[in-house]
Amino acid sequence: MAKNLRGDLQVASANRLVDGMVVFLDAAAQWTDRLDRADVARDEKAAERLLERARAESATVVDPFLVAVTEDGAGRIEPLSLREKIRAAGLTFAAIAAESVRYA
Amino acid sequence: MPDAHFYRYDDYDRRLVAERVEQFRDQVRRRLAGELTEDQFKPLRLTNGLYLQLHAYMLRIAIPYGTLSSRQLRKLAEISRTYDRGYGHFTTRQNLQLNWIKLEQAPDAIAALAEVDMHSIQTSGNCVRNTTADHFAGAAADEIEDPRVWCEIVRQWSTLHPEFSFLPRKFKIAITGSPNDRAAVRVHDIGLRFWRNGEGEAGFEVIVGGGLGRTPMIGKTLREFLPKDELLAYLEATLRVYNRHGRRDNLFKARIKILVHEIGAEKMREEVEAEYESMKDSALKLAPETIEAIARQFAPPPLQSKRTRVPEVEALKLEDRNFALWLKSNVAPHRAPGHAIVTASLKPAGAPPGDASAAQMEGVADIADAYSFSEIRVSHEQNLVLPHVAIEDLPAVYRALGRLGFAEANIGKITDIIACPGLDYCALANARSIPVAQRISNHFAALARQHDIGDLKIKISGCINACGHHHVGHIGILGVDKNGAELYQISLGGDVDFGHTALGTILGPAVPAERVVEAVDTLVATYLEVRTDGERFVDTYRRIGIQPFKDRVYATV
Ligand code: HEM
Ligand code: SF4
Repeated sequence: MAKNLRGDLQVASANRLVDGMVVFLDAAAQWTDRLDRADVARDEKAAERLLERARAESATVVDPFLVAVTEDGAGRIEPLSLREKIRAAGLTFAAIAAESVRYA
Repeated sequence: MPDAHFYRYDDYDRRLVAERVEQFRDQVRRRLAGELTEDQFKPLRLTNGLYLQLHAYMLRIAIPYGTLSSRQLRKLAEISRTYDRGYGHFTTRQNLQLNWIKLEQAPDAIAALAEVDMHSIQTSGNCVRNTTADHFAGAAADEIEDPRVWCEIVRQWSTLHPEFSFLPRKFKIAITGSPNDRAAVRVHDIGLRFWRNGEGEAGFEVIVGGGLGRTPMIGKTLREFLPKDELLAYLEATLRVYNRHGRRDNLFKARIKILVHEIGAEKMREEVEAEYESMKDSALKLAPETIEAIARQFAPPPLQSKRTRVPEVEALKLEDRNFALWLKSNVAPHRAPGHAIVTASLKPAGAPPGDASAAQMEGVADIADAYSFSEIRVSHEQNLVLPHVAIEDLPAVYRALGRLGFAEANIGKITDIIACPGLDYCALANARSIPVAQRISNHFAALARQHDIGDLKIKISGCINACGHHHVGHIGILGVDKNGAELYQISLGGDVDFGHTALGTILGPAVPAERVVEAVDTLVATYLEVRTDGERFVDTYRRIGIQPFKDRVYATV
């Protein structure tokens, strides 16, 4: 994932082992499903340390990696790539739900 | 006794599947307990059809030959409700994929499948994979023989075959039982097509070296006519030649299509025929009793003679225009008089193509119980098929499907789109597929217009792996990633119809996501302006070539 190290801001992400859900590493070294809780690395050195911490905490997740993000004036972070936006926010369309279709 | 290597399906396979479930349960437990690393565990879960996608695990469930009983479909509904988010995705490989499976529950889901003799075990690795068949098998009016019988013969032969467990690469066979190919036989490693020769004997045309993916190729005919009882000997000869010469040094060059391409069809034929000469009278020659025994497993249901002209159907046709359109596009001829094959469209306007909720699956199972001898088929075009419906029941079936949202009269039309999961689910994707399909199908939702446009197949893949078969779409759409933006490369003129199989030609530079609908609309408008009577989109394309389409699209896009 060397190429992600080039972005200025990074968060660490992975998929949770038990159910595959997307998670991010927070400042207390816990995995959370909330991107807004993710610990943000603000330079290359910090990013390397963040990735090391993520790997050290990887017993309950699969393959941690760094995700380049941007931050707006209000401190909200968002991934740069579409792939990571979709990972963080979920499907970009409404899935068919079991209960949405009832038949007589 | 030449055919001793055939066995009864039930005993052997049930035991095998049950053992595998328990093995997997133990492997999952050890992974969750930290006793197995992901590197150790990954191949084990993949063998059991469990993939890790962008935001969850996905379970790929095999539906052999695309044939399901209502009991099996109900179980799939129950599994998607209990272990997933209440829906599933029927794929071009005649599989069902569940997108939100939890690792800790995966063994229970797989155990539930085993209750109805189903499994998710991918015969992964470089062996002969699940053989696919025409989804109208056993019902179509134009069928010579039920291809599933031959799929099963191939399956049993290859499962137990030590020589072919380590081929250079995976190997896929498709069989169509009728001269009208509905199984895309020219884009498989081996494609088999039944036909009758001048003497009236039924046999196979043997086609080798087709495939899609990153190096798409159309298969070449090695044998025009192979007597059917010689099938296994000929397949064995072909696989031996492949085993001997196929490239093992480069993953991307290891498929048989590359071998056929490199040495040429002529040389391939010589090699296979020479090999075949030495073994054609061997034990592999199939005894008629063997073929009959397996055919009994696919015996047709007890169809009774039914009325072929039904006044209620004629009346409803006049009354309800959508029903009349539905009869044209979603109902196909059955070989038994008074019967028909009904395709339930899993492509209502704006829906993710191929998705069905648990309630919809149960609804289709109920309809199959009432009107189709409890049988359902999954088509590689991501629809469900009710293979044995009496013509007099068509109005009832139409209404029942309508209540499920599956009676859209669009089979083979512009909104009957094939789309892979794309970037919404898939970790390998460059771009999204499903939202593109949704926008196109909303744009062209009006049924009368769709029928006016006529047969037009749009196929969309989110990356070069081509799971959405974009190479063979009349209009193919391939998602590419350009510096983080989703662009779509459009190609024209692909086809899987027999005698016309072709790979599409790229129209020009990829277009941005928000321009795809406009581009498709322009292509359609161009066709409508110049088509002659009875010409489909792809026929017009063949007649006038790509340039007129290109000029128009790039003038406006
Ligand atoms: C979402 C998870 C999926 C992943 C990760 C995936 C991955 C792949 C890959 C890597 C290949 C290329 C294999 C090779 O050429 O050796 C492939 C081929 C294929 N996939 Fe998928 N796929 C997925 C879903 C699907 C779905 C949903 C369908 C059906 C709608 C599908 C249908 C196919 C087909 C038909 C091929 C064979 C193309 C050919 O070589 O002829 N896949 N897939
Ligand atoms: S074509 Fe690419 S994006 Fe689509 S499912 Fe296959 S691997 Fe994923």
